[in-house]
Amino acid sequence: MHHSFNYMSLVADAVIIIVLVAFILSAFRDLARIGTGISRAWAVGRIAFIEAWHNRMWAIPIVWLVICLILGFTIVRGYTPGSEVRVYLTIFIRAQEIILLLYLGILACLSLPRERERKTLITTGSKPVTRLELLLGKIIGLGAAALVMLLAMMLCTWIFMKVVDHRIRSDAMAMYKTEKDHYDALARHVPPDFGLLYTAKHGVLQAQNYITGTLRIAGLISYLHNPPIRYMKGGSTEKVYFEFPSIPANVNYQPDFLFRFRLLPLGHPAKIHITAIQRDNPMLTEEATVKLNASGEAAWTPKHPFRFFSYTDPQTGKVFNPGPVVLRVSCPTFHVYLQIGDGTSLSNASCIVTGVNAAMLHQHGIDYILPKPTPIITGFKSNGWQEITGPGKTGRTPPEVASWEFAHLNPLNIPTDKGDKFTVHLICGVSKETNEAIPTWVALVAYSRDDPSNPVKMLQLHINEKRVTDVHLPRRLLDGSPLIINLSSIVHGHWLKIRTNSVRIMQKPSTFIGNLFKTELIVFCEVILLITIGVVSGTALGWPVALLTTLSCYVLGNLFHFVSELAKANGFELLNVVQMHRLQGVWYYQLGSFVSGVMVHVLEILVYLLPNFTRFSPLPYITASRNMPWLFLAQNIFAAIISIIPAIAFGYIVMRRRELS
Amino acid sequence: MVASGLAILTRQLTKIYPGFWKSQQVAALTDLNLAVERSQIFGLLGPNGSGKTTTIKLLLGLINPTAGDALVMGKPAGDQDTRRVIGYLPEESYLYRFLNARQTLDFYARLFNMNRAQRRRAVDYYLDFVGLDPAVRSRRIGTYSKGQARRVALAQALLNNPDLVIMDEPTSGLDPVGMLEIKNMIVRLKEAGKTVLLSSHQLADVEDVCDRLVILYRGRVEIQGTLNELLEVKDTFQLEARGVTPEIQAQLMEIAQRNGLTDVRTGRPRVRLEDIFKNLVDSKRTTERRKG
Repeated sequence: MHHSFNYMSLVADAVIIIVLVAFILSAFRDLARIGTGISRAWAVGRIAFIEAWHNRMWAIPIVWLVICLILGFTIVRGYTPGSEVRVYLTIFIRAQEIILLLYLGILACLSLPRERERKTLITTGSKPVTRLELLLGKIIGLGAAALVMLLAMMLCTWIFMKVVDHRIRSDAMAMYKTEKDHYDALARHVPPDFGLLYTAKHGVLQAQNYITGTLRIAGLISYLHNPPIRYMKGGSTEKVYFEFPSIPANVNYQPDFLFRFRLLPLGHPAKIHITAIQRDNPMLTEEATVKLNASGEAAWTPKHPFRFFSYTDPQTGKVFNPGPVVLRVSCPTFHVYLQIGDGTSLSNASCIVTGVNAAMLHQHGIDYILPKPTPIITGFKSNGWQEITGPGKTGRTPPEVASWEFAHLNPLNIPTDKGDKFTVHLICGVSKETNEAIPTWVALVAYSRDDPSNPVKMLQLHINEKRVTDVHLPRRLLDGSPLIINLSSIVHGHWLKIRTNSVRIMQKPSTFIGNLFKTELIVFCEVILLITIGVVSGTALGWPVALLTTLSCYVLGNLFHFVSELAKANGFELLNVVQMHRLQGVWYYQLGSFVSGVMVHVLEILVYLLPNFTRFSPLPYITASRNMPWLFLAQNIFAAIISIIPAIAFGYIVMRRRELS
Repeated sequence: MVASGLAILTRQLTKIYPGFWKSQQVAALTDLNLAVERSQIFGLLGPNGSGKTTTIKLLLGLINPTAGDALVMGKPAGDQDTRRVIGYLPEESYLYRFLNARQTLDFYARLFNMNRAQRRRAVDYYLDFVGLDPAVRSRRIGTYSKGQARRVALAQALLNNPDLVIMDEPTSGLDPVGMLEIKNMIVRLKEAGKTVLLSSHQLADVEDVCDRLVILYRGRVEIQGTLNELLEVKDTFQLEARGVTPEIQAQLMEIAQRNGLTDVRTGRPRVRLEDIFKNLVDSKRTTERRKG
């Protein structure tokens, strides 16, 4: 089954285009005078700002700081220094967001209705100011208020975090000295933790700018000692590839694929999307979406099985094996994890070909075919950790290998040291199943993918759990072709927890204040968007209704993904009430299902029409790495602008014919 | 008369405020035809609900007409260019309570795209012009008396040196001296070549300053014309003189009876209370000023 095209987003886009065209046609004269209009809009904005100030805007940062300090000191107890900073930042920035959205959202909803009530709009409206300038002025004024408050809050956050950072650095240095003294005095066998020295030197606020690569994992998955650990995340872009290299031709059977996954959580309804590809003829594909049963199993028969399993030459009548078949499987269901078997045995395979004629296969009693025993999972986009196993006890079982590919590197953007080496940071978690007392060592192999003449760099490194390990690699590896960095554990029983950015090429570190400022800008984008919605709601509605409308827009804008998911299931199915299936033939069930389906689609159109507030989420960046990528900032600014313009256009169209008194 | 020579021209101007049901609709103005010449003081009279304020709002483009159209200074009413040459004094002083007088005028001056120097000059000039006490100019308008707020409202109406000044109840909230000052100001505006549209319940004010007037009742024009045309009693003659003794008075009565005149009255003319009040306050203020 092919993915259906989303007509609802098309409807929403069409509505937005109509609004924009209507705006351009009706505001043509006002837009032509926008040159002088900007100063009038600023004058109106100045008044909105002064009014906000008189509404005790200055008290907001004080209230915010008090709330943050109380929350911070209450919650932070018991956290490690690194986590402490993350918690503080979460509290400080989340509180800013909530307080500003609330305060300025209310002010925005009140601004025009209150002017109408006080009739000041009559005096202002008698001056040569257009409706567009009034609208823009209100948004500019309240936006300026938001910016001033955000800057004040940013300054407080910065000062506070600097104090915290100073304390953490002092503590780390003291701890390192103690460990070193003990080690020097032979009272301790383990050398002092260099991570502490690193923390003492650099603190916990300096953000690292880095380049991440594409992560792939290959290798055997060991089931011997532990529960299986390889999962594919539902709703993500992760995909698992099952390859069947040896399905014999001229086999007279009806092949089926059987999928068997262990589901987390157990029994959660889930779907998988399958793409079958004839490897040597990629044009031959077939797609399907199938439901897994409660045990995580599903069977699938291709519509044209012989296309994949045998090919008959029309002239000679000879039957050929058309080549290996690859099944690419992803899971579109959110909140579910599929455990992938390694394919080494029937019980450990997540995908097999069943219904095979055993005689033709020359295998007595075996009527199934296993995939190649190294399923590869690609497309890590989440921040979730994945684990790769270490080597087997005897060394015969090789470890899994995580491989990062860094394509399109620009050597000019990557700083090098005096020895002409660039720095790669390695941050892994470690799971020690055995050999707990031994430090974890990893093998790192770096090479240029398409340039065999470029020597391979191989290193063995000692790593600390979730602490940065600096790796210096020669600059020549950046030249010419994509850089590949492979990583594997070399200690038996030590598994590495990795994620996409576990290996990263470092760029120039950026300051905390810069990243904090970028974070505040993203919060500002969200706030100004809500201000726009509030002011636009106030053009036609009284303030209570405008408030309710703005709140609804914000809530729906935050439910963007949820509603999109809801809309995929039509009617009562979205309620996921099993008992209702008994009523499926009944007319009132069908009517109800139809009505609920229509309502969900209306909701979907609304959600597509409204700005998607979920995208304004700077916290994962600033809390995890103290970093705020320029790209993410630019995406947010762009998203805010393309949402604000239609909102203003709509507000203008409503306000244009509206009487000012 | 060509439309361009007129300050205001309305044609069949109609405003009906909509209601949910047809019966709830209110016809605030019906087929108003007005022609106001430039450099004239034009009075708009009528009881409450007669459509005076609606007319003004239509001329300013604050509300949209249901039918008909209006030209103000030769351009459609409500046009942005039109509003550049209009000054409007609303019936109440609708000003931002959190601003002071200077900030208020500065804000409105910004809406006319005046630069900083122009704004400063205009603000100072018009605050002096309307006689706002310098001591209160930096106080918030929310703390002003009604008269002080009215003066600021008047200043904002004159800020752009408008060709047409529309005043809705300009003397409301003012003391008699203030009223007189406003009336003098209106006359001065006319002398400076401005057109003034004056809407008022104070008939004496209108009588004192207006050249022409129209009386509206329930949204329709009832009477229209110059002040003389409307107020002059055609078949009556009035004589005023000083030094008339009772004998001369008796002789005049006798002449009147001899010539068959009817409704003949003699007596002493009265000054107006407003004049007495003004003279008193003026003399007191002069005394106070002398005493320092």
